[in-house]
Amino acid sequence: MHTKYGFSFWLIPFVLAILGVTGCSTVAPPKDRMAAAELALQEANKSKAPQYAPLELRMAADKLDEAKRAMNKEEYILARRLAEEALVDAQLAEAKAASEDARRAASDLRQSLETLRREAERSSRGG
Amino acid sequence: MKRSSNYLGFYAAPALMGLSMACATIPPALEQARQNYQQMQQDPQVAARAPVASYEANQALRRTEQAWEQTSDEDEVKHLAYLTNRRVEIARETAQQKAAEAEAQQLKLEREKVLLETRTREAERAKQLAESRAREVQIAQQEAEARARESQEAQRKALAATDRAAELEKRFAELKAKQTDRGFELTLSDVLFEFDKTTLKAGSARSLAKITEFLRENPQRQITIEGYTDNVGSDTYNLELSQRRAEAVRDFLVQNGISADRITARGLGEEYPVASNETEAGRQQNRRVQIIIVDEKGRAG
Repeated sequence: MHTKYGFSFWLIPFVLAILGVTGCSTVAPPKDRMAAAELALQEANKSKAPQYAPLELRMAADKLDEAKRAMNKEEYILARRLAEEALVDAQLAEAKAASEDARRAASDLRQSLETLRREAERSSRGG
Repeated sequence: MKRSSNYLGFYAAPALMGLSMACATIPPALEQARQNYQQMQQDPQVAARAPVASYEANQALRRTEQAWEQTSDEDEVKHLAYLTNRRVEIARETAQQKAAEAEAQQLKLEREKVLLETRTREAERAKQLAESRAREVQIAQQEAEARARESQEAQRKALAATDRAAELEKRFAELKAKQTDRGFELTLSDVLFEFDKTTLKAGSARSLAKITEFLRENPQRQITIEGYTDNVGSDTYNLELSQRRAEAVRDFLVQNGISADRITARGLGEEYPVASNETEAGRQQNRRVQIIIVDEKGRAG
């Protein structure tokens, strides 16, 4: 039996098994991702996102909470994914708020320009 | 060697099977991420206005594709696809923000332009108003000045007329002329002529000097010299006598530098007596020469 398959036959699954075990055990806690997500959420909260993009902000906050729980349970892959998603959610919230803010500003300007033009026209007619 | 080729085939078969399976069933999350990214790419506004966010979306999609090709870990692919979708959305929002900001910038410029135009127009209108007011004031001033000049002129004329009238009156008074309908009448009694004579008496020059002087000073004046007689003698004779006497006076004046054009001389004989011919005193009054002074148009005065 032991001569039927050579050393190299067992070598590959053995190496794969070792790699698999150490691969899992070498997943480090994603501290940098956590910190980045935390920072992004703080930035988003400081922007007009609470006003204009509350849903995305809420999703970011929830995911960050989940990521923290996953960290505590040492589920680092899940924690990393949640932190990364929380980061993009927070950034999207901020981007949405910024674009909404810019649109409103443009709209206000449009209205004030319209009023100004009407007044100018009226005054030029009124003589 | 023969054996090793066998067991390599033993492992290769399921590996190839897995790979072909993976190629056949692309996870829907990856498919969705690709579509989202492609749609975003078709919007030229996003590439132009949000190049960094577009690049990040592109990187996210590439990581998703790589994860699918290398690990086939569906959870990781799903996670990376989610990140890609979010990055695409961020790029779109950023592009919209930039577009709105660019529009706002344009609107601000237009507002400045409108404000400037309005101010310019207002200033122009104020200037025009000021100018038209200034013109009105100027016209009013000119009118006032013209009126003042006119009234001054009228006053001056009135004064001059008064002066002239006063002067004339004085002269006429000196000549002992009387104002009548025909003009100023000046009666020279028979001191000029001897009875039945037509030559001027020696002392007549002094009597005629004043009228000569007057005619020199008032060149526009014309005179009519009329000769009259008393009723002694025939009518025809008296008519001729009076005519010659009038002409004698005219000749004297012409000799003294008065144009003959200005003088009309005629004899009217014994008609139109001014006193009774019954007495010597009356006859003396009737023997007379009358000088009527008119202006250049023959008007009295």
